[in-house]
Amino acid sequence: MAGAGGGGNDVQWCFSQVKGAIDDDVAEADIISTVEFNHSGELLATGDKGGRVVIFQQETENKSQPQCRSEYNVYSTFQSHEPEFDYLKSLEIEEKINKIRWLPQKNAAQFLLSTNDKTIKLWKISERDKRPEGYNLKEEDGRYRDATTITTLRVPVFRPMDLMVEASPRRVFANAHTYHINSISVNSDNETYLSADDLRINLWHLEITDRSFNIVDIKPANMEELTEVITAAEFHPHQCNTFVYSSSKGTIRLCDMRASALCDKHSKLFEEPEDPSNRSFFSEIISSISDVKFSHNGRYMMTRDYLSVKIWDINMENRPVETYQVHEYLRSKLCSLYENDCIFDKFECCWNGNDSVVMTGSYNNFFRMLDRTQRRDVTLEASRESCKPRQLLKPRRVCAGGKRKKDEISVDSLDFNKKILHTAWHPQENIIAVATTNNLYIFQEKVN
Amino acid sequence: MDVEAKRIMALSISKLYSLRTQRGGLRLHRSLLLSMTVRAARDIYHTAQLLRDAEEEQVVPCAPEAAPEEPMEISKDTPKEVAVKPKETLQEDKENRCASEQHSRKRRGKTALEADFLPLKKAKMETDEEKQHFQGEVLRTNNGNSCRQTETLTSFPSNRAVVAC
Repeated sequence: MAGAGGGGNDVQWCFSQVKGAIDDDVAEADIISTVEFNHSGELLATGDKGGRVVIFQQETENKSQPQCRSEYNVYSTFQSHEPEFDYLKSLEIEEKINKIRWLPQKNAAQFLLSTNDKTIKLWKISERDKRPEGYNLKEEDGRYRDATTITTLRVPVFRPMDLMVEASPRRVFANAHTYHINSISVNSDNETYLSADDLRINLWHLEITDRSFNIVDIKPANMEELTEVITAAEFHPHQCNTFVYSSSKGTIRLCDMRASALCDKHSKLFEEPEDPSNRSFFSEIISSISDVKFSHNGRYMMTRDYLSVKIWDINMENRPVETYQVHEYLRSKLCSLYENDCIFDKFECCWNGNDSVVMTGSYNNFFRMLDRTQRRDVTLEASRESCKPRQLLKPRRVCAGGKRKKDEISVDSLDFNKKILHTAWHPQENIIAVATTNNLYIFQEKVN
Repeated sequence: MDVEAKRIMALSISKLYSLRTQRGGLRLHRSLLLSMTVRAARDIYHTAQLLRDAEEEQVVPCAPEAAPEEPMEISKDTPKEVAVKPKETLQEDKENRCASEQHSRKRRGKTALEADFLPLKKAKMETDEEKQHFQGEVLRTNNGNSCRQTETLTSFPSNRAVVAC
């Protein structure tokens, strides 16, 4: 099924590569905070807590031979954001990259948006493999020649040079968010994008940095009446007038920008009634949606809350069409997870290329593949022990209680410091990128 | 159940407090979730209190030390399981109960409690109604909602987000 982008449990996953330092002592700046493939899948970008962006490029050689796996190698590394200090409020602004979103490619250069808590930047990544040589007024090293020594005139020519990949900030979109930016999303019109913080969503034009339009504002007049915040937002993949945003109360609102300029009133509200038998102190926290993603075909959207993944049909508001439990065995452990702050972890989720399988992360460096068509799921692990080339990933099982079978791991043995929050799926192929704390694992479909 | 509620309240408040010192400024989402948990725990605790007080009226008051023990044991499912991290709270509570059975707001020992939990800036006060019911423990929180740090109108002189209307 190579190239189909599909595959459920008939797909066997094997190890391809791992990026990042091997030692267990993790520097905080190296913690990966976002992972994103570009539209062709040729480039894979990661952002980290230190404000850096690293882009990997898929090697194009040997693609005709299915046995050879294409590798991702470092293409460009640059410092996107620096720590800042807001003197007026005496607040430090973290340089951590919250999200990266690629723009569709229009010319030879690649563009991406990266954001921290307050500022969004548009980066241009371009290749340079030629340089002009033979200037009249300058030496090759750039020093100016003495004008009196110039006796001839020549036309400079372009000569090949070693490939250089340059990243330059083309736009800086700043000062539009009072609260912390959690999402950015490029519109299908390729001209605008949205940025969302806890209470507001702004619409930008990619060319204009000194102005943005506020399209959603849920800030109450009296902040003490605040009951919910925006947790994620995304544009529809094809309808440039439609976007959704999720809330900490577990609801999703779909807005149509044609309806009014200020989209405080939603067009659709997606909400599932709460199961009263599951009520606890922590019901509010675990119902908070940490990620929302449209399917590639635009018909569905997926939401991730603490314990489950839900697939919604955008034409049906009263309940999701599918619900998958990610790690239900944690439901009885919510109190401990509250104590160690794990209950606040924000897991992301992603679709495969043909929307048949979804993936999300869990603890102990486990991640889950949920096959929608075959109604099956599998738990895999990103671990240093399974790092031999083309080594097959073995399904993992967690024992919720009672007698632990062989090869099962008990809930109490799970390492809650090893969490997979960020995952990405190649848009066309069965290649996935899974970020552990400071390593990026790339797995591929096993081809015989 | 109310012991658990109190423990969660104490835990949540200490988390809210530590949020203020975190890098990157006050996290609104987390503050909101924490304050909701505090409220949920407080409601449970408050309900349990009311039930207990209703029971106490039927119990003949004994020596001050014994009286609080009894009703607590009746309502507690697992009297041994008091895993309260800040131990002063429980002791403060007993102290306050022993002093009087009235529904008056206790000031004694409040300062010790404050030093542990309360943020340096005291924000919202409990409403008067809540004060009457809230015997023994005074919790001052900003409910996580007050973003007073970030709420200055002049904070963005160059804010150019245009509200389209």
